[in-house]
Amino acid sequence: MLRALDRKLFRDLWAVRGQVIAISCVLAGGIATYVMSASTLESLQQTQSRMYREFRFPELFAGLKQAPLSVATRVAAVPGIAAVEARVVAPANIELAGYGQPVSGQVVGLPLGAGRFNLLHLHAGRMPEPGRDKEALVSDGFAKAHQLQPGFELAVTINGRKQRLVVVGVASSPEFTYQLAPGSIVPDFKTYCILWMNAAPLEGSFNMTGAFNQLAASLERGARVEDAVQAVDAILRTYGGLGAHGRKDQISHRFLAEEFKQLEMMATLFPAIFLSVAGFLLNVVVGRLMATQRGQIATLKAFGYTTGAIVWHFVKFTAVIVTIGTLLGIAGGAWMGSGMSRLYMDVYRFPYLEYSIGGGVVAMSFAVSLAAAGVGTLFSVLKSAAESPAVAMQPANPGKYRRSFLEMPWFSQPSRMIVRNLERRPVKSLLSIGGVAMSTAILILGGFWGDAVDYMVFAQLRRAQLDDLTVTFFTPVSTRGLHSLRSLPGVTYAEPTRSVAARFRFAQRTYRTALQGMEPEGQLRRLLDAKLGRVELPPEGILLTDHLATMLGVKPGDTVTVELLEGSRAVRQVAVAGVVSEYIGVTAYMRRDALNRFLREGDVATGAYLAVDPPAMPELYQRLKRVPAVAGVAARAQALKSFYETLAAQMLTFAFFNTLLASTIAIGVVYNTVRISLSERGRELASLRVLGYTRGEVSYILLGELTVLVFLAIPVGLVMGHGLAYFMAMSAQTELFRIPFVVRPSTYAMAALVVALATAGSAFLVGRKINHLDLVEVLKARE
Amino acid sequence: MEAVFAARAVTKFYDMGEVRVHALRGVDIELYSGEMMVLLGPSGSGKSTLLNILGGLDRASGGSVLYRGFDITAAKDRELTQYRRRHVGFVFQFYNLIPSLTALENVAAVTEIAENPMKPAEALELVGLADRMHHFPSQLSGGQQQRVAIARAIAKRPSVLLCDEPTGALDSETGIVVLEAIDKVNRELGAATAVITHNADIAGMADRVIHMSNGGVSHVELNANRRNPRELHW
Repeated sequence: MLRALDRKLFRDLWAVRGQVIAISCVLAGGIATYVMSASTLESLQQTQSRMYREFRFPELFAGLKQAPLSVATRVAAVPGIAAVEARVVAPANIELAGYGQPVSGQVVGLPLGAGRFNLLHLHAGRMPEPGRDKEALVSDGFAKAHQLQPGFELAVTINGRKQRLVVVGVASSPEFTYQLAPGSIVPDFKTYCILWMNAAPLEGSFNMTGAFNQLAASLERGARVEDAVQAVDAILRTYGGLGAHGRKDQISHRFLAEEFKQLEMMATLFPAIFLSVAGFLLNVVVGRLMATQRGQIATLKAFGYTTGAIVWHFVKFTAVIVTIGTLLGIAGGAWMGSGMSRLYMDVYRFPYLEYSIGGGVVAMSFAVSLAAAGVGTLFSVLKSAAESPAVAMQPANPGKYRRSFLEMPWFSQPSRMIVRNLERRPVKSLLSIGGVAMSTAILILGGFWGDAVDYMVFAQLRRAQLDDLTVTFFTPVSTRGLHSLRSLPGVTYAEPTRSVAARFRFAQRTYRTALQGMEPEGQLRRLLDAKLGRVELPPEGILLTDHLATMLGVKPGDTVTVELLEGSRAVRQVAVAGVVSEYIGVTAYMRRDALNRFLREGDVATGAYLAVDPPAMPELYQRLKRVPAVAGVAARAQALKSFYETLAAQMLTFAFFNTLLASTIAIGVVYNTVRISLSERGRELASLRVLGYTRGEVSYILLGELTVLVFLAIPVGLVMGHGLAYFMAMSAQTELFRIPFVVRPSTYAMAALVVALATAGSAFLVGRKINHLDLVEVLKARE
Repeated sequence: MEAVFAARAVTKFYDMGEVRVHALRGVDIELYSGEMMVLLGPSGSGKSTLLNILGGLDRASGGSVLYRGFDITAAKDRELTQYRRRHVGFVFQFYNLIPSLTALENVAAVTEIAENPMKPAEALELVGLADRMHHFPSQLSGGQQQRVAIARAIAKRPSVLLCDEPTGALDSETGIVVLEAIDKVNRELGAATAVITHNADIAGMADRVIHMSNGGVSHVELNANRRNPRELHW
């Protein structure tokens, strides 16, 4: 049996159902973004740690040119190192029947027996059998992109030697969750692949029998990564060591770590915006409800209901809205979260990803929405419930107004009403403006991602990287070898490049990255400043990616210590001549001739940029595969395509949810504002109708107020959106990736338009109610 | 004398679920130009319903109401708005002033949309509020607020002035001041005036008193000498 007061509760809720829906939706928007980000983060982190444990992800990594296996034993003896595994990894070119594009990859040697680290998860098929030299596993992303099944044959060129391998299984490994081909921007599973085969045949093909070029290790409890890195580097130096590093510099691990940071921010920033708007809306609606029920509350108190019982009654009113909103939000967040996890699975090759929503996330959802609602409503409920019945039963006095400093002598009376109403409740007006401005800002943020990506692609691939193909060599080759490239069919131009691993030091800071030797006034690769203007390479001295300069704390004119990690291993003080603006990775640039002198080498290159006649492209691929020195070939058009394909899906999904959520706020705020105004001023408006005002003239008063609010809010929102996009761009600055701060005018225009449409929609809904004002009824009762 | 209103066989019923409530059961009534009429009756007698129909706020279920030959029972919504705008002045029991506008501006809200209105200040002087023109409703007493409402109703120079329990929310002393204002504008402007009340003492100020009960006119009383509201008391 429902108690009378509870029945009143449901009728009250039903009477303001439009607003209940609007607030629930805004609340749901906040909870959904929170649940989506938090549950995805939690699922990813759990998957990551489970995967690291289960598949034994190492704690230390080192690459080198070549060393006999005995060296690995020496490394294992380093204090702090628990276990070591050495292996051979070789670059490879892969041919796939029926696929014309160049495919490059890495072939990883599998140890005999169980293996210590980076165990494989088999998605299909089986492991290569010992002694079977022609069996291989392929990475699951590649298998999926080309629909490869066990039994498929691949032509794999290792060290210039072509051999046929049979795919016996599809696998994934924690070290390759993020598979980035050298020089590419996003994973491209069609053109990049990881292969695993038995160690012996791979060592044979790569002339590495009894030797290794990669090393993984685990550490003893309490051992410091930095100490181990130093000791390992000391041992491997003479074997062409490329510098050991811990997990934090492992590429898959690092991308995941960045992703987690982004998700954490999303789990805080967006919910905070939505929940503060929801709290404000609840405050307005409950405040209004208390005002209209002033008499009823007094009557209940006169009958002996306690203040506590009445507070509890209105708390329940709020609790119902909070429950609806939170449940909706959790459901929506789960839906969005599972979709987001699928997107992650497309980019990050986890062996498995169990998406789940933890109890903690659910509890937190209820806690934060209750907190937002509590902050929003409790004060007005307590204030009204505590009013003495005798006072509350008196009719409320006419609202106190004063002339507004904003009004002009020529204003009509309805215009005066608009201005004075806005000014009478400055806080409420400001919060309404704030809410609508927030939704404008969120819309701009949605558009900003697309603008930034477009700009990045434009800058990187239309202004900086103008080559059609990038060729990398196994070992440095004399530039005379370039002539043979130039003479290949379709190649119209070739430009050599030299890349070497180096450590840069300035004051206490060091950073390890590639030092790239470029041709002065190169035609196919250009170094650009932030305004896309060309930066010339100095005869001596280096140019740094702007982010690298920031990380090292250097500015043009400073001198950094450059330690080459290959070849001559020379260490030298080099002047920083300037910075270049780049969005992917961090690199240092030097003139190739200067770098070669630094390396004490002749006129050599480790790669070349080619300009190619498009019709000749397919044949050129075939010819390049047969050039023994070529380790890999990457196509710019393909890179562009895969970049768009990978990002477009994410961007569109993000933009869709973003618009949906922002519109929810806009509609929620606008609808509630105008609905409350109508409720507060229905009597006034009906009186004017009685006095002969037309529906249009009365609507002007109500909707004029709304229009003023929205017109004030949109410019504020544009500025806020600008700031929010800037904040996002700045907080997304990492060594791997920088987002350029670019917002197109059309993005601002679109945001303003969506908000204007949301306003028009809400105005239309409420406008219909103005037409149905009951003129007779409203005159009878005193409010 | 010219009849401003001629109502014939006016009926009004409301369907409340399964029950049909007859508010008016065939009312015949005239209101003449310049006349002061009081509609007297207990609550539920149908006087407010009749006033609402005369004022174009509500439609009759049957019969006809002619305003100077124009049948307002057949008028469209838009025509009724124009009718109220041009010809009718309303005074309500609870004043219904716009709280965000001053006394002067409340009157101006009506004169701005009227044809050939008087100046707002002039209307306020007529009800004796020249010194309160720039006060907001919250700064005025109930009687003063009602006088602003009267000024607002008459500033458009209406042909009819309809007052629904104008003293209902006021004490007798203040009520008399308000009635004086109504009496004054009726005499000076010549607007046909209908005042609804359940207070029989007010009937003395009328030219004609229509007694209503049970949705019909029970009898009509003519006052040979209408009394000054000053002489009334209750």
